[in-house]
Amino acid sequence: MEFANGKRDWQTTGRIATGCPHFCFDTEEEIVAEDVVSCYNCRYRRWTSGSFTCIKQQQPAKGM
Amino acid sequence: MTIYLCIDDTDSIDSRGTGELAELIRDGIEQAGWGKTDGVTRHQLLLDKDIAYTSHNSSMCFRAEIADVHFDDVVRYASAFLEKESEPGSDPGLCVVRCDALLDTEALIRFGYKTKRQVVRVEEAYALAARLRIHLSAHGGTGEGVIGALAGAGLRISGSDGWFKGALPLRADTVMTVAELCALHGVEGVKLLDGPYLDGSDTVQFGKMNKAMLVDGKAVLLVTSASDGYKSCSKKQLMEHEESKLHVAFE
Repeated sequence: MEFANGKRDWQTTGRIATGCPHFCFDTEEEIVAEDVVSCYNCRYRRWTSGSFTCIKQQQPAKGM
Repeated sequence: MTIYLCIDDTDSIDSRGTGELAELIRDGIEQAGWGKTDGVTRHQLLLDKDIAYTSHNSSMCFRAEIADVHFDDVVRYASAFLEKESEPGSDPGLCVVRCDALLDTEALIRFGYKTKRQVVRVEEAYALAARLRIHLSAHGGTGEGVIGALAGAGLRISGSDGWFKGALPLRADTVMTVAELCALHGVEGVKLLDGPYLDGSDTVQFGKMNKAMLVDGKAVLLVTSASDGYKSCSKKQLMEHEESKLHVAFE
């Protein structure tokens, strides 16, 4: 399932990633923002044209 | 001779990234004494449901100056490396462009930009590579990584796409002149995000992560104006800058 809030919702993705047991920073060349815990920086997010999906399937109801 | 070597689709979600493998191939070329290599650049390709990428669909490329007699050695080495080191389930592709044999540079660059905006088929990549005398080969899986490998080479040769792997070793909030930065850290220029290059005496304040972009064929630090000088662009700004290229009309 694709994250519904696109690629700029740092607040929601920060909250999700902070509580996610699978969060893991992607490699340096693939992270989006420095030192920010966010789904956008996680190696388990798969980018789509307008947003991303979570490969670990840890998507919360809100924002999805 | 000058060559460009690009690889794509070598990884799985939990494995080493394609960028790390590209660096290892660089190391192998240098250790064998076949030539000298430049930094690895990362090139974003199209994100589309019809493309089987792992998580971000980017390819990795570097330039090298090698002795003519070692071209076949480089191709053999990189091919064997990909077959040994790529992850099971990946679809690795290898592209090696020798500039002295390349028949149509603009056609290769156009292909690179096309793959940022359209779904491209394997057959098209092979046909173009054959026409332009470019080495293109698959090394496992479906072999669909050849598309990104060829595209990444074209984007690297364009001189203005993507960023260099690795962050510059600069501490956040420190300040340096452009001349000092270029002398100490291999940066070849400092440029406003959408403006001119800075002078050597201009000062730049650095952020948490400072990355060189490929601009005008050089490693360039992009900056924005600040109240008392200039500030390096954040990774987020660079990402958005790169994304904007996905939406430019393709001719």
